[in-house]
Amino acid sequence: MITSAIFIILSVVVLVTALLSLYFRDLLAAVVSYSVMSLVLTVIFFQLDAPDVAIAEAAIGAALTICIFVIAIRLTRRREE
Amino acid sequence: MKVGSIGSFLSLFLIVGFLFVGISRLHPVGEPLGNRDVFKDRNSLVTDTSNVDTMDDYFLRNGQRETGSNNIVASVVFDYRAFDTLGEATVLFLVVSSISMLLYTALKQKKMVLELKDPETGFPKNMTRIVSNGAYLMYPMILAFGVYLVAHGHISPGGGFQGGAVMASGTALLLVSSYITNHIKNTYKIFSFYESLGLTIFIGLGFAGIGVSFLFNFLADFSPLFLGRIINLGPNPGFLNSAGILPILSLAIGIEVFFGLSIILVSLFHLSRKEENTLQKY
Repeated sequence: MITSAIFIILSVVVLVTALLSLYFRDLLAAVVSYSVMSLVLTVIFFQLDAPDVAIAEAAIGAALTICIFVIAIRLTRRREE
Repeated sequence: MKVGSIGSFLSLFLIVGFLFVGISRLHPVGEPLGNRDVFKDRNSLVTDTSNVDTMDDYFLRNGQRETGSNNIVASVVFDYRAFDTLGEATVLFLVVSSISMLLYTALKQKKMVLELKDPETGFPKNMTRIVSNGAYLMYPMILAFGVYLVAHGHISPGGGFQGGAVMASGTALLLVSSYITNHIKNTYKIFSFYESLGLTIFIGLGFAGIGVSFLFNFLADFSPLFLGRIINLGPNPGFLNSAGILPILSLAIGIEVFFGLSIILVSLFHLSRKEENTLQKY
């Protein structure tokens, strides 16, 4: 019961953060929102008994991609027109 | 315009439908096998197809016997479909090569202005002591976790790709806390050498078992000295020296992924460092 409630809450958080990362015009905020989505998705993968995928998602989605995106924003413009 | 949006909606529903069909055929979570009798007889493979309706049934029943690896995912990735993994590694190698080629020409054209360390303290200039010290303390732990994931890839969840990505995220931590190199050329040399070394080990091991087939697991059940320890069937903690060439392949992939992703991060970060003066601050 509690497990499924947590699961539903986490799924809603993933959906909301994914939509937010589309909605934000400030690209840095969009990237941070994407990072939160990856982090919550990691917990969901772990709850679904897929620790391999969870580790890969945490390392690549929440750390490496964000680092590369932040560097790219720094090299270009911060706001989307 | 309208036709395009209708088509995209249709393809979306089609993909979601296929996904739901796939999900409905999955095993229930936590119930991998109907009966555990298949683990009693060591020598005979379960080829009885009456209960084996999907491919994962076959892997779950025979994976430990055939590859000596406790982690079924690793046995699939590095043994049953090792050739696909070689393809993935080659794709990553090509991506890293092309990106670093492009970035290296951009890096070489500009003068390196990398006097970022404070000469008195030895720490990066534009970072607080807390950030640089924290990164300095965290980096060995992240590396150790990545090495653990790579080395235990055939026993516990993890493996070469995940471990290499975790280690590369340690490199990202060092870079964002301004631990940078003044010797970008030597960094390129060392990193590209080790990246090539990983892929070469993978292909070389593949050719070592060419007597049977490419990437044949010739070390499994060979000798405990050469990673060939025979493991118990069923759920068990496992041994480090089992599974034949799986740990070596995992190590090769780990080396390749770590140095490949690190070289992308290092070159991108140094490019952004140097352009900082010319661009407007946000």
